[in-house]
Amino acid sequence: MPGLFSSRSPLAAAAIYTFLLAVGVYVIFPFLWMLLTSLKTETEALQIPVVWLPVRPTLKAYAVMWIRKNYAVYFLNSTVVSLITALLSSLLGALAGYGFSRFALRGRGVLMGFVLTTQMLPGVLVVGPYFKILSAVGLYDTRTGLIIAFLTICLPFATWMLKGFIDGIPRELDDAARVDGCSWLGIFARIVMPLVLPGLVATILFAFLLAWGDLLWVSTLTHSESMVTVTLAIARTVQEFYVNWPELMAGALIGGVPSILLYLLMQRWLVQGLTAGAIKQ
Amino acid sequence: MSVGVLRLRLSARRGRVRERIAGYLFVAPAILLLGAVLAYPAFVSLRLSFTVAGSPTGLGLDQYRLLLRSSLFWQVVRQTGTFVAISVGAHLILGMLLALALNRPLMGRTPLRIMVLLPWVVPDVVAGIVWKWILNPLYGVLNDVLLELHLVQSPLEWIASPKLALFSVILANVWRGFPFVMVILLAGLQAIPEELYEAAAIDGAGPLASFRHITLPGLRKVLVVALALDTIWEVRRFGLIQAMTGGGPGTLTEVLSTQVFKQYFQFFRFEYASAMAMAMTALLLLISIPYVRMIVREE
Repeated sequence: MPGLFSSRSPLAAAAIYTFLLAVGVYVIFPFLWMLLTSLKTETEALQIPVVWLPVRPTLKAYAVMWIRKNYAVYFLNSTVVSLITALLSSLLGALAGYGFSRFALRGRGVLMGFVLTTQMLPGVLVVGPYFKILSAVGLYDTRTGLIIAFLTICLPFATWMLKGFIDGIPRELDDAARVDGCSWLGIFARIVMPLVLPGLVATILFAFLLAWGDLLWVSTLTHSESMVTVTLAIARTVQEFYVNWPELMAGALIGGVPSILLYLLMQRWLVQGLTAGAIKQ
Repeated sequence: MSVGVLRLRLSARRGRVRERIAGYLFVAPAILLLGAVLAYPAFVSLRLSFTVAGSPTGLGLDQYRLLLRSSLFWQVVRQTGTFVAISVGAHLILGMLLALALNRPLMGRTPLRIMVLLPWVVPDVVAGIVWKWILNPLYGVLNDVLLELHLVQSPLEWIASPKLALFSVILANVWRGFPFVMVILLAGLQAIPEELYEAAAIDGAGPLASFRHITLPGLRKVLVVALALDTIWEVRRFGLIQAMTGGGPGTLTEVLSTQVFKQYFQFFRFEYASAMAMAMTALLLLISIPYVRMIVREE
């Protein structure tokens, strides 16, 4: 366990706790400040010197954002698009991960290199042509178009993560089922998937976070009000000439809370999933 | 050779062929989809970047010549370099220190470990917005605290100041990115066998020596993974900057991704933007070589 901070002197312990406290404040303060600001009136938020705690906390900013500024619609859009993306990319990624993990495919190296390379490509390289293609096939400004676009971000990661998890499941289980006359798809669905469930959950969550957090694709592939997602709405609000900070902070929290809740519920799996690939020897 | 053996061999071969086909069917949906929605548009961009002005079918290096002569392009490259280098460097240092601290029995270790990943989980747009508010020159809480502590004489302009703008964006980006590096490094630390440290301690190695000779070599692999992924992500970073400064003041916080986006969707210079995106892609592929090589070698 020791490592660098191994000396057991009280001074070292004090230094470590001070450091942890500082990091803790750095990590948490922005969230706290978002929350506190969102509970203030605008006058209170713009007072100098700063008023730390709202004197009379109000949920008005949330009401304004959720109802009058349409965040309910944006929230629904983000949820639908991210959820479908996450499920679809994890399913396709699981199939591909299984294929890469279990079959001696000719050109396997090339195909896996291809998946790995697509993970490196910057979104701005493809977003322009993609915009033209979607317009040509009538999918511009639709949820379907957005979901297909999000798959480009999520699918390479999902494939790679799930291949790692499936590699960790003993092949003998497959072979035994094969001898019993089980089909490949049957083995995949009934044996491999249940065993890889924690990894699958991590992948779905990770894909959801990626899709939910995107700004680049939604700003280029949508234009009508009914297609706007939460991230796009926040980015637009901040660029307005006049910014109401309590409202914007309420909007930012609306955009952040689903990620935070999902993460807290499933953090164990996410951390395992993120690190499994990295420490596998 | 008897008929029975022959039939057995035939069926074995048929089984193998069928197995290979099954394998291809498993990977086909993902590969085809990635080809259609990623490889094809990337190819369109590549083709576009070699467009010659005034000739719809000609191929040439005009756009790249234009790009290399543009002082704005080089300025953006420098800013991207600064943004990525300081972000990744700070992620690494903070992430490493925190991972080392959390890799010991401490009070409140588990909640801290869970909490610390929160900035990385929220959309980078949210990170950009909240830091924009904290750093607000007039009403921002950071200026308030700095003034209160007499660390500054007058409020700092932060994102509105030519000198501090890029630094402000980096500050927000460090906040958002270091937790990921920490989590990966901590997992790496926990995989290093305890006995190595005990043996080193018996041999009289101090904390610094055991860090250099046990911890660092033990972390080699996770370091490559964390650094490669983080660098790739920070080169591509878009939402945080777009939401926080939109590239301003002027062009002082423009990075490659925001600049390509502007050239494409605001100035409609599709060919020029494509050339810039290709330059960015080349950079990313170059960065990812050590990572890819490590993975391929393992396979």
